[in-house]
Amino acid sequence: MMSREAVYERLNGVFREVFDDDTIVVNDSTTADDIEDWDSFEHINLIVAIEEEFGFKIPMGKTVTMKNVGEMVDIILQMGE
Amino acid sequence: MTVVSFYYLFFLAIGVLIYYAVPKKVQWIILLLLSLIFYVSAATPYTIVFLIASTIIAYTSTIYIYRHKDAEIYAKTVSIVAIVSVLINILMWFLLKGSAFWILGSILINKVIPGVPVLRALPVVSALGMGYYTAQIIGYILDVLWGNADAQKNPIKLFLFLCFFPQLTVGPVSRYNDLLVLYDYHKFSYQNICIGAQRILWGFFKKLVISDRVAIIVNSIWNDTTTYGGVWPWIAVFLYPLEIYTDFSGCMDVVLGTSELFDIHLSENFRNPFFSRNSQEFWQRWHITLGSWARDYVYYPVMKSRWMVNFGKKCKKKYGKRWGKFIPWSLSMAILWFVMGVWHGSVHHIFGVSLWFWLALVISELFEPITKKITCVLRIKTESFGWHFYQSGRTYAVYALGAVFFTSSSLQIALAHYRVLGSSLSQLNPWTLFDGTVLNLGVSWKDINLIIFGCVCLILADYLRERYDYARIWVRNQSFGFRWLIWIGIFLVVLIYGMYGPEYNSSTFIYQGF
Repeated sequence: MMSREAVYERLNGVFREVFDDDTIVVNDSTTADDIEDWDSFEHINLIVAIEEEFGFKIPMGKTVTMKNVGEMVDIILQMGE
Repeated sequence: MTVVSFYYLFFLAIGVLIYYAVPKKVQWIILLLLSLIFYVSAATPYTIVFLIASTIIAYTSTIYIYRHKDAEIYAKTVSIVAIVSVLINILMWFLLKGSAFWILGSILINKVIPGVPVLRALPVVSALGMGYYTAQIIGYILDVLWGNADAQKNPIKLFLFLCFFPQLTVGPVSRYNDLLVLYDYHKFSYQNICIGAQRILWGFFKKLVISDRVAIIVNSIWNDTTTYGGVWPWIAVFLYPLEIYTDFSGCMDVVLGTSELFDIHLSENFRNPFFSRNSQEFWQRWHITLGSWARDYVYYPVMKSRWMVNFGKKCKKKYGKRWGKFIPWSLSMAILWFVMGVWHGSVHHIFGVSLWFWLALVISELFEPITKKITCVLRIKTESFGWHFYQSGRTYAVYALGAVFFTSSSLQIALAHYRVLGSSLSQLNPWTLFDGTVLNLGVSWKDINLIIFGCVCLILADYLRERYDYARIWVRNQSFGFRWLIWIGIFLVVLIYGMYGPEYNSSTFIYQGF
């Protein structure tokens, strides 16, 4: 099973790729308000990129409801089990 | 009975009294009864069978989905049940509201196979709020399927979710989880009555003082463009956003204020749309609940579908990262706008309004890197008032020009209006703005002054909303005398200067038809 730190390492890479910004570092409390281009339309590109990176589908319900990166990591860990 | 009428206020007063007088566990039943009375008095009564049918389909399907969605062997059946119940709801909507499409379809088929009869529209009936409650029930079914909502076990409570009367006229498109409060116990609070009444009053002000006056000018110009050429068609174009905004958001204020009286807080549909810097932001501030519905239940599933993901990958490989993102995005947006056009129920809405606004979004996205570079090179202070004003003005103009399709009843009429706009550019006559021509449009100087006064109040309220979240929060923090002066002032203006029809009823709302 992946550790939370390992998930964050890969997740930072996904965020940097999607938002074209190599300085992004995300943590549990990061929300869409903290990253300039992360709006509700860009959100889906992020989800698709995460699915690609981790190799599984994130359910539609979770796509709509996740509130911050912490929840995102919880979902990734849960799906990766 | 429309929501801006004397009868409605009377109906509300009686309703609120009963609601807080009965035991709290039956309050939701009072809401249901009020909703039924409202429906019967505002729509063609028998169309309620569609609401009942919608409820029964959603109820049976969601109970099945809820019970079986976690069992893997049922995964396929559960998805099929969800899709079928969504489709049946869409079909019912098509029957009553989508006649433009099946008539056009039958005409096209008739041209290919001459023997096939051309269908006619059903007799006109008012299925109040059908576009709104159909969207709501589709959202609810998908929410249960996706695990975001529990299935409602009481079909009559589910029926209330669909027919809750304030939202029947013009929405908002509510989410099931947000309306669970319908079934809670509600204590009488003076504050709820105050904020509800204030909001209803502000809605009346927008509709009766501003919108109905602006409507006279806009309609008179479009009805006689040979007399009113030159600058006048352009005046009509640029006044229409003001008319529809004060009409639609005014009605929303009445709707939201009404539900606040019952201690139910519905979602906001507007957040100062004309303060937007670009079209994308505009659509996140205008008709918000329909936009977010389309995003969650149309755009997200399309973007996440295997087909679109693979298509995105191919585009990325072939055209690079930027285009790999841009092409699937613009395609998904086209699907979203197509659905929006269909929801509005007319062919010209799809090929006019939707196409226009989709193009505006695509062009703005396409040129974004270039405009960013230009502002950087020219060292434009993008946070300055002047730049924001220019951007908002540009967004307003894009909306105003596209809305010509919206005001017209067909594509041909819209194109004729555009031709008038084009030809009038060569015969501009700005001096006629000041020579009294305006008085031939069905309004007096008093009306024009009232429109200007209304706009000043509107801009002030919107500015306060942007700054303090709600203008009324700012008002609440003022001294007792000033506070009451404001509310009594608005009340008197509405009472004396409202544009009333027979028996103190207003004209209908633009968005009531959907």
